[in-house]
Amino acid sequence: MSLSIDRRALNKQIKRWPGWLVLAAVVVIALAIATAGSSGPLTDSDRIDSISQRLACPTCDGESVYESQASAARGIRQQIKRLVEQGTPSDDQIIQYIQNQFGAKTLLVPNASGFDALVWALPAFAFVVAVAGLAVAFRRWKLVADTVPTDDDRALVQAALNDQERDDES
Amino acid sequence: MFAVEVAAGINATLGHSILLIGLVCATFGALATIYGIRTNDHKLLRSTQRYAWGVCAAGVGAFVVMERALIQRDWSLKYVQQVGSADTPFLFNITAIWSALEGSILLWLVVLVGYTVVIAQRFRKRLADPLVAWALVVMFVVCIFFFVLTLGPADAFQRGALGVTSGPGPNPLLQNHILVLFHPPILYLGYVGMTVPFAFAIAALITGRVGERWLSETRRFALFAWGFLTIGIILGGWWSYEVLGWSGVWGWDPVENASLLPWLTGTAYIHSVLVQERRGMLRVWNLTLLVSTFALTILGTFLTRSGVIKSVHAFSNGSIGPYLLSFFGVIVVVSLGLIAWRGDRLRSPGSIDSPLSREGAFLANNVVFTVFAFVVLLGTLFPLIVEALQNRTIKVGAPYFERLSIPFGISLLFLMAVAPVLPWRKASTELLRERLFWPAWGGALAIVVPLIIGARGLAPLLAFGLGGFASGAALRQLVLATRRQGWRGLVGRANGGMVVHIGVIVVAVALVASTTYTHSSRLILEVGKPASYGGHTFELIEVESFTTPRSNGIRAQISIDGGQTYAPAITKFTNFGSNIPTPSVRTGVFNDIYLTLESGAKAGATTLPMKVFIKPLIVWLWIGGALMVFGTLLSAFPGTRRRLPTQPTSAPIPVDNDEPLAEIVDV
Repeated sequence: MSLSIDRRALNKQIKRWPGWLVLAAVVVIALAIATAGSSGPLTDSDRIDSISQRLACPTCDGESVYESQASAARGIRQQIKRLVEQGTPSDDQIIQYIQNQFGAKTLLVPNASGFDALVWALPAFAFVVAVAGLAVAFRRWKLVADTVPTDDDRALVQAALNDQERDDES
Repeated sequence: MFAVEVAAGINATLGHSILLIGLVCATFGALATIYGIRTNDHKLLRSTQRYAWGVCAAGVGAFVVMERALIQRDWSLKYVQQVGSADTPFLFNITAIWSALEGSILLWLVVLVGYTVVIAQRFRKRLADPLVAWALVVMFVVCIFFFVLTLGPADAFQRGALGVTSGPGPNPLLQNHILVLFHPPILYLGYVGMTVPFAFAIAALITGRVGERWLSETRRFALFAWGFLTIGIILGGWWSYEVLGWSGVWGWDPVENASLLPWLTGTAYIHSVLVQERRGMLRVWNLTLLVSTFALTILGTFLTRSGVIKSVHAFSNGSIGPYLLSFFGVIVVVSLGLIAWRGDRLRSPGSIDSPLSREGAFLANNVVFTVFAFVVLLGTLFPLIVEALQNRTIKVGAPYFERLSIPFGISLLFLMAVAPVLPWRKASTELLRERLFWPAWGGALAIVVPLIIGARGLAPLLAFGLGGFASGAALRQLVLATRRQGWRGLVGRANGGMVVHIGVIVVAVALVASTTYTHSSRLILEVGKPASYGGHTFELIEVESFTTPRSNGIRAQISIDGGQTYAPAITKFTNFGSNIPTPSVRTGVFNDIYLTLESGAKAGATTLPMKVFIKPLIVWLWIGGALMVFGTLLSAFPGTRRRLPTQPTSAPIPVDNDEPLAEIVDV
C-alpha cells in the first residue's frame, strides 16, 4: 500500500517540471537533427516533378504541367528536363524561363507583388481579424461575468425554461 | 424503328410531366403548410406529409425516367445524345446520368426529395409543431428551386436534334472505374444533406424558438451529412489516385474546393454546437455556420456548374449561373435578415470564463476552420476577381493552397492534442501538466521513431510529433472512458469524436508523409533486363495491345521484385480520341508502388518508357478515412445522459478553487 502511494507521489513528481524538461530536450534535439538532415529534392526526376507542379498546363482547364497528359504540358516537361539536366541552378530561373514563353497564365502560384499580393495578404489579415474578434469577445465575457444578473437576464432564462418545457410536452 | 420513336416521345413527355407534378406538389406543400401554420389548422398540417411523398415520388420518378431513356438509348433526348452511347457497358450507362450538368441536377433533386420525405416521416407525429412545419416549408422551397432548374436551365428532358442515332458516351474518365458509381451519390448525400440542419435553423429563427432543442433534433442529420461528405471527399481522392495518372489524391481544383468549403464550415459547426448544447451560448454563431454551410453548397455549385471557372470536373453550361447566384443571394439575405430580426432572442445568457477551457478550444477550432474556409474561397475566387477588375488571366493553383494549408494543419493538430483534456469552464496549468504528460511523450515518440527510420525535414516531423501528441490525447480519453463505462466508453459524441480524431490524424500523417517523401523516376524498361529503383526491381514481361468495342490501347505487364505482375495501360476511347493513362498500383502497408506508362510506349516493343512513384503510407489515407466514418457512427449512438444548458454545469464558477471543480466537471 505504501509502495503504491510512493509510486503515485513519484508519478506526480515526474509530471511536474523534470519530466517536461526532459521531454522538451528530446523534442528540440530530434527536431534539430531533422532540420539539419533535410535536403532539397533528391534526384533530377524529383526536381522536375516539383517544378512542373508549380506550372499550369497552358492548353488545359485547371491542370498542372505535372498532372496533364496534353502535348503542351509534355513539351514543357521536356524543356524543364533539359534545363535541369543542363544544371540550371535555381527552380525559379526555370519557371521564369517557361513564363517568358507562355505568359503569366502558366504560373500556378500568384506573384506576391501588385494586386496579386492581396491573395497572400488577405489570409493573414483575416486571421488577425478573427483572433482580435475572439479577444474582444473574451473581454466582453469577462465584463459580463463580473456583473450581477439583471431582471432582463432572469426573464430570458425563464423564457428559455418555458420553451424547454413546452418542447418536452410536445 | 417506329416503336423507338414513340418510346422516345414518351420519355421526354413523361419526364417533363413528372417534374411539373413535382413542382406543383412542392409549391402546394409549401403554401398549405404556411396556411396551416397561420390558421393553426392541425389537421391540414398533419396532411403535409402527403405533399412530401408526392414531391419524393416526382423526384425519383424523373430520375427513373432518365435512366430508362439512357438504357433504351432514346436518341430523341438531347441529354442522351450528349452522354449516351450504344456501346457503353450497362454500369457506366447507368452512371452516365450524373456525368453532365442536367443529370447531376436530377441526382441532387433525388437526394433532396429523399431528405424531405425522411423529415416528414421522422417527425410525422409532430407535423403540427410550427418548428417542424417551417422546416418542411424550407425543404419544399428548396425543392421548388431545384424543380425549376430541371424544367428550365438544366432541362434533362429537352428534345435533341432529329436524326441523331449515336452519342459519344460519358467522358472517358467517367467510364473506367467502379468508383464513379459511389463517389457522386455519396458526396451528394453529404452535400445536399446540409439542407436539413439549415431548414431547421431557419425554422427556429422564424418561430423564435432559438433555444437548444432544435439543435438536438438535427444533430444526427448534421452528423449524417457531414459523415457522407467526408466519405465522398475521401472516395474522390481515392478515385483520383486510381484513375488519373499523376499519383495524387487532391489537386485543389475548384470543384474539389467546392466540396471542401462546406466540409470546413460544417466541421466548425459540429464542434461549436457542443458549446451551445452545453452552455447555451454562441447561438448566432452556430446559425451563421449552418447558413454558410448551406450557402456554400449553392455557391460552390454556381462556381463549378455555371462555366465561370474552368476545371477538369466542371460541366460548363450557359444559363444556370444566374439562377444559382440569385438563389445564393436570397439565402444570404433572408438568413441574415432573420438573424437580425431575432437578435434579441439570440442573446445568450452565459459567458465563457477562460480561453483555457473546452469552450475556448472549440472557439479556437472555429477560428482556424473559418479562416481556412475563407482562404480556400479566396484562392478559388481570386482569378475571377482579377479577371473582372483588371481583365487579365491568372491562376491560383495547388502550390498556393498547399503552402497556406500548412499553418492551419499544424494548428488543428495542436488543438486536437490539447482540447480533449481541457475541462469545461476553466483549466489550470497544473491540470494540463498532469493530463498532457503522456500524450506529449507520445508526440516525442512520433518524432524520434521516424527520425531513426530516416525521415528528415522540420515541417513533416513537427506534423508527426503533433499527430502523436493528438492521438495520445484522444487515446487517453478513450482509455479513461472505457475504464469507467466499458464498451459505452466508445460511443457518444465525446468518445466517438475521439475515434474520428484518430482517423483525422492518420489521414494527416499519411498526407504529410506521402507528399513529402514521394520519389519518382522515369525508367526505360527492357524485356528480360530488370531495372531497379527505390529498392525494388521492375522487369518488363511484354507490351500488348487490346481492343474493346469502344476503345483500344496498350497494356504493359511488369513484374515487381520478380513477383506478381502489374499492368499499367493507356486507353484511347474511339469516341474521344485522347489518351487516358490507367496506372497500376502495388499497395503496401508502408509504401505504394505506382506505375504509369509514358508517351512513346508501343505495343509489341521490347522497350518501354514508364514512370514509377514510390509513395509512402498512402493506404493509411483510406484506413484513416474509414476510421473517421466509424467514429462518426459511434458518435451518432446515444452516449451518456445529455446535459442541458439549464443544468448545474452552467452555474456560477467558484473563483479560487478550480482544481476540484475541474474534476467534477470533466465527465
